[in-house]
Amino acid sequence: MGRDLAFGSATLALSAAYYWMATAIPESQLADAIGPQGLPKIYALLLAGLSLVLMVGSVRDPGSGIRDSKDEHRVPNPEARVPSPESRIPSPEPRAPVPDPRSPLWRVAGMLAIGIVYILVAPWLGYLLSIAALILATTYYQGGAINRQVAVVALSGGIFFWLLFVVMMRIQQPPGWWPPPL
Amino acid sequence: MVAPSVVIDALTSIFTTAIGPAACAGVAWGILGGALPGISPSITMALLLPFTYGMDPTIAIVLLASTYVGAEYGGSIPAILIRTPGTNAAAATVIDGYAMKEQGKAGEALGISLYSGFVGGMFGLAVLVFLTEPLSTLALAFTPAAYFALGVLGLSVIASVSGDSLAKGLMAGLLGLMIGTVGTDPVTGVNRFTFGSPELLSGIPPILVMVGLFAIGELLAQSGEPGWEKAATAAARIRFPGPAMWRRIARPQAIGSVMGTFEGIMPGGGGTISAFLAYNEARRWSSHPEEFGKGSPEGVAAPEAANNTVACTALVPLLSLGIPSSNSSAVLLGGFLIHGLIPGPMLFVKHPEVVNGLYAGLFAANIAMVILGYLIMMPCLWLVNRPKPYLMAFIYAFVVSGVYAIEASLFHVGVALGFGLVGYAMRYFKVPFLPMVLGVVLGFMVESNYRRALVLSSGDHMTFLREPISAALLGCAAIFVIGSLLRHAGGTRGKSRQAGANA
Repeated sequence: MGRDLAFGSATLALSAAYYWMATAIPESQLADAIGPQGLPKIYALLLAGLSLVLMVGSVRDPGSGIRDSKDEHRVPNPEARVPSPESRIPSPEPRAPVPDPRSPLWRVAGMLAIGIVYILVAPWLGYLLSIAALILATTYYQGGAINRQVAVVALSGGIFFWLLFVVMMRIQQPPGWWPPPL
Repeated sequence: MVAPSVVIDALTSIFTTAIGPAACAGVAWGILGGALPGISPSITMALLLPFTYGMDPTIAIVLLASTYVGAEYGGSIPAILIRTPGTNAAAATVIDGYAMKEQGKAGEALGISLYSGFVGGMFGLAVLVFLTEPLSTLALAFTPAAYFALGVLGLSVIASVSGDSLAKGLMAGLLGLMIGTVGTDPVTGVNRFTFGSPELLSGIPPILVMVGLFAIGELLAQSGEPGWEKAATAAARIRFPGPAMWRRIARPQAIGSVMGTFEGIMPGGGGTISAFLAYNEARRWSSHPEEFGKGSPEGVAAPEAANNTVACTALVPLLSLGIPSSNSSAVLLGGFLIHGLIPGPMLFVKHPEVVNGLYAGLFAANIAMVILGYLIMMPCLWLVNRPKPYLMAFIYAFVVSGVYAIEASLFHVGVALGFGLVGYAMRYFKVPFLPMVLGVVLGFMVESNYRRALVLSSGDHMTFLREPISAALLGCAAIFVIGSLLRHAGGTRGKSRQAGANA
């Protein structure tokens, strides 16, 4: 399926769900002529219309959209300029620069999972240990090995961030079960 | 016209307040971020954005704006040294910058880049001051209808920043407007789309959307990608141009500054387009056009002057009308919003100290760029040469720490991660970010003022055309949309014709 078609289908479903939720917004006695439901419903209808336009365009002219390719692991990025393949020599550290065999979805899911685990453990472990664990997990997931050097870097990173934000800048971070810093 | 006393006060504040240190810190952070390939100015700013929450508003805005200035220069470092632009806008610098490096002139190329960035930045600052101040006189005449029209004018920018697909841009804008409806209804106080969550009663903060889309989305997109080339530190001693070179690069710098002014003010323009336009025009007007592409100093000076001019002139529509014309100015708008400041005409009346402080900060930032650009070259290269897994891990840690710091909320971290996934999906489907950001930041203003104006006029929609400012702004929006559509249609026809000729 072309990406435009997939995107159009997703936004069409989203617009239907949003419209349905908009109809469930309670009316108020203070309501003006438009009301709290007014603009959300208009947005949903406009989004549905544009989704259909995109889907029809994608079906009528399959070449106009971007098509999925099993060989294409790189996600196109309209925001940041990424190095062109011929201009890059992959970093030799900390693991050999072989192409990542995992699918892009797995890579993204893994990174998000690390973030979610951080949210779950930070209230118990506290900031220093949680952020060190996040650094360790991300480094490993991005191609680093689990060894003493990486562990030292992760722990040093955790201490650095803790000193910088909690001690020096007095910025609040998850305290955990530990006694507050002196 | 700016009063001399205002200029003197602004300049004095660099030394008597924290504006000077904030400008220096922002520039240093911007250079480091800009030097990392894949980390654009907007991402560099988005990483910093949560930490500005507890700061004095003026200092926070100066810090963010200075980051933008520094990042535009920082992007040229890897462009020259490893043929990999650190930012989009430095892509044009690669052509002659890397060729100079191949000839053993990396130091000269870096010096020309730094000096040209300074010239462009100062020119852009002058344009910013003289174009935005006169608009402050309009401030008191703004009514709800005029504010609604201003929001519509801001949303009309979507037509020009949608890239190849106008439909996708409009859809992204609508998704942003939908996100903006979450929370308490501005007129009746009814809860909308909150799912019973007290955290959503005040809506989804735009800062979480921006950090998610720009910073976390980019982390996810970069995941699993191989690293970039290592830079040789021996080649990276900056050598500033001498008087003969000053004379030679004066014309391309002037061309770059003019292009940067034009493209910075125009919504959807930005540093990348201005850099390439400046490069082309500099070659056209050069007495040595044959050197372009083979290591011409003019080919470095023109795009670098252009993209640093944009770092200042992109703030003209933001400060005067509250309309962000690029991703970076959208993040800066986020910086204003988290401090309760609404950019636009009233900013000059209600918070002149912020505007004057920003001018002073940008002045300090452009000077600091020259000094810090020289001093932190080695730390910069050390950072670029770190293994990518470590860099990504530390950036991730920085992002989650920053998001939590906004309101000490892990719920916010979860929301930002969610928008990171949205940002990744938008990259995958090639949907532009800026329309969504515009929808999020302008959605509340458009809806609340639209409905207030109708309440005041007893439901008469003609009120938007009867009020002169509202009518003028809506007219501008209409002209802007029609112009963008015509340009889009022209471009599509051109491509079709070219495809037909190639077939």
